[in-house]
Amino acid sequence: MLQRFRHPWTDDRAERTLGAASLIVGVVVVAMVAFVAVHAWPTFAHDGLSWLGPGGNLKDQTEAMQATGAHAPASAYHLNAWPIVYGTLLSTALAVLLALPLAVFSSIFIVELAPRRLRAIAIPVIRLLASVPSVVYGLIGVLVLVPFVGNHIVSDSEKAKYASEVQLNGYSLIVTVAILAVMITPIMVALICEALASVPKTWREGAIALGLNPLRAILAVVVRAARPAIVAAAVLATARALGEAVMVYMVSGVNFWSPRPGDGVTFFFEPLRTLASTIVAFAEGASAPALRSALYAFALLLLFSSLALSVAGYLIKLPLRKYQVRA
Amino acid sequence: MISTRRVLTALTVAGVLGAAAPVSASAATTITMSGATASYPLVSLLASKYVKTHKKARVKFRIAQGGAQVGVNDVSAGRVTIANVSRDPLPSDPAGLDFYPIAKYGICVVTNKGNTLGNLTASQLVSIFTGKVRSWSQVSGASASGTIDIESRTSVAGVLTSFQTLLLEGKKVSSVASEQSSEGLMRQAVEADPNAIGFISNYQSDKGGVHVVSVGGVTCSRSTVISGQYPGIARFYEVTKGKAKGAAAAFIAWITKAAPAKKIINTQWVTI
Amino acid sequence: MNAFAPSKGDAGPPALRPASGHGRRSSPFSWRWIDRLALAWAWTAGLLLCLIAGAIVVYMGIRGIQYLRPALLAERPAVGASQSETGGFLDPLEGTGILTLIGILLATPLGVCSALWITEYGRPSWLARIVETSIEVVAGTPDIVIALPPLFTATRDGLQAVPKHMREAAYAIGKTRIATIRRVLLPSVRSNIATGVTLGVSRTIGDTAIVVLLLGLTLRSEPQGSVPGIGLLRGTGSTLTTYVFQNSPAGEGAAPQKAYAAAFVLLVFVLALNLVVGRIGRRQADELGLGAAGAIV
Repeated sequence: MLQRFRHPWTDDRAERTLGAASLIVGVVVVAMVAFVAVHAWPTFAHDGLSWLGPGGNLKDQTEAMQATGAHAPASAYHLNAWPIVYGTLLSTALAVLLALPLAVFSSIFIVELAPRRLRAIAIPVIRLLASVPSVVYGLIGVLVLVPFVGNHIVSDSEKAKYASEVQLNGYSLIVTVAILAVMITPIMVALICEALASVPKTWREGAIALGLNPLRAILAVVVRAARPAIVAAAVLATARALGEAVMVYMVSGVNFWSPRPGDGVTFFFEPLRTLASTIVAFAEGASAPALRSALYAFALLLLFSSLALSVAGYLIKLPLRKYQVRA
Repeated sequence: MISTRRVLTALTVAGVLGAAAPVSASAATTITMSGATASYPLVSLLASKYVKTHKKARVKFRIAQGGAQVGVNDVSAGRVTIANVSRDPLPSDPAGLDFYPIAKYGICVVTNKGNTLGNLTASQLVSIFTGKVRSWSQVSGASASGTIDIESRTSVAGVLTSFQTLLLEGKKVSSVASEQSSEGLMRQAVEADPNAIGFISNYQSDKGGVHVVSVGGVTCSRSTVISGQYPGIARFYEVTKGKAKGAAAAFIAWITKAAPAKKIINTQWVTI
Repeated sequence: MNAFAPSKGDAGPPALRPASGHGRRSSPFSWRWIDRLALAWAWTAGLLLCLIAGAIVVYMGIRGIQYLRPALLAERPAVGASQSETGGFLDPLEGTGILTLIGILLATPLGVCSALWITEYGRPSWLARIVETSIEVVAGTPDIVIALPPLFTATRDGLQAVPKHMREAAYAIGKTRIATIRRVLLPSVRSNIATGVTLGVSRTIGDTAIVVLLLGLTLRSEPQGSVPGIGLLRGTGSTLTTYVFQNSPAGEGAAPQKAYAAAFVLLVFVLALNLVVGRIGRRQADELGLGAAGAIV
């Protein structure tokens, strides 16, 4: 029977088979989104979209939800999840902003500038970094970074100033963002390195021949040619940052507080909570239907963010098409 | 001609299935449990001893955690046979659950090793944990200075509920507190922060690394739990939906009556 | 291939060789300040990342070697009052192996086929868009095919980097599209697929949430149900990652030494896997004449 597969395939059959494989992926993901949406429906039915907004005390609301039983009154579904939506946006955006230049320039370093022996060590070590479990990152955060920030960076007077509103004991935005950045950089470095390495050498040599100094040649030619890959890597890394639950849960303070930019530098030392870490926090304890559907609503929101991210990546790559084979 | 690829595929499939072969060939009863992290060490010890001494009963255990509230919800929904719960029954618990107490433990108030706070009265405890008093300078006997960092547990934790009921006169911990998801993380948080104060079971505090504060003049240790003097004595329960039946009933009966079980409980906890 | 040292061999024919012997090197001190800044930043970023990565790996290595005993790899986890009774991590090791195997077996064909379809065929375009977006959505969720997005992205980027002329040359001599894919494109993106697989394996192994949310979090593998393979998967409940989780302060904290040992074994496991995959995917750059950089894998 295997003989059939040995005969050269026609393009039609190949297209159908490959298309079918791709379709499976698409169908499975759409099914997953539909499943989550169906379970999240009660929250939308009772609250519309206002549950995304601010107001109310989210801690009290979630505790109230936990206490309701199977036939919860409509008021039980009410929540204002803005603090955690804001926390998610904030931590993800800052982490990606920090990680992107780090990743791009590290890739330039590894591919173009590093001495051979350093490159031979750096690549496996950075790949290893990508497989360190998130709980280990969380532990590094809890055991090393959080005490460092809480005891040595935040001053006593700062703590006293905000004592009645929020606790500045090290479980903070800055630790979350720093560790998130370190978590997502290896993925980006690996993908961007591949992209930089596949730019034909002659392009760079041509630029140097025209008089550009080597680094400018790299930036102007090689990095520009790899722009679609950089965008793709950034999208993947952002999706990872959005979905990171366990590590954020351990170092962010688990406090429904929205860091206030108006506080100046202290803004970075305030605790926060994100969508993914909230889902993991309540995931097993959520038997109250009100809380269950709220958690599914958070998950739906995360899925939509990934979706929006993907579309944004596509839109960014669109104008790059005129320089590439396909973007 | 048999292609090597086919042979390799067949071997891989066989290997995977073979690895899965140690599936229980005979029908054993499995007791599933979920619930409190605080009682997990005790329950796992009891379960493994039970399996060793009752080989004929062919019982297997599957113990998950999640928090006391998780256990209560799971057992009431029929997802597990027994729930491990570290707090007394609440009015908001689902109806029809039977609580069987198996052990007593103390909830100790702990501070950082560098903070030699000797004793706290009940009202001091309340004012610290509810956030009325925010600075160590307002607490007499504390050698720490600066803002009080309150460490608490997430809302699914039974130890939190017990703590609030027994030592905080039913009031809630302030919302500025950082919530830790497990006893281990709570102990770590208090160990690392000179200004921290938190609460853990005596089993965890006995491991050292933190300073245990007396409450109302009574130290928190196994002996004061036995004597009943310590105010923060909570109970571990095994909870079933309706009356315990079959293998679950046998296990619970063994815990409460058999000598080996009592020996295990008395290592770090206190029998009822 | 280092941009700053001209390669010794290609100074050119004698008539064109510069009088000074070697090609004129561009000294950074003659550049504009912004280029110097960029150079400094590239070195800083690279060294910083290597330092952080090195520190984490070295720390885990030291702690792990301190606490790892070979017996741990062969014993099943057990419940015990003291460290010496709590057994080893055979079950979590098996769990990691199974999870990785199944994850990669599912993700690789899907990822490579989708990447091929998107770049080479991709009709109708709205469907292509939906498929690409779906895969990127998967990247943010914990599921068993968490290896799919990096694999897909790496393969797709590799395929897009293959110059048009290679495909056109193949068509010009009469090859069909599928034959071109099989004979020309796939071999040239072998190293990209290898990168994708290593990234995918890393994500599968490192994700705690998969096991916590999907497989149930228990200490030992207890197959559920009567179907052999699937039963084992559903009853796995334990991988090295969750073992580390449970024995660290995040779980019960009773055995941090075992957690270190398990984390170390995890890293060795990943290192070995990376080496194997890297060897398979090593790009024969000269053979293909793409003139691309040396093996990054």
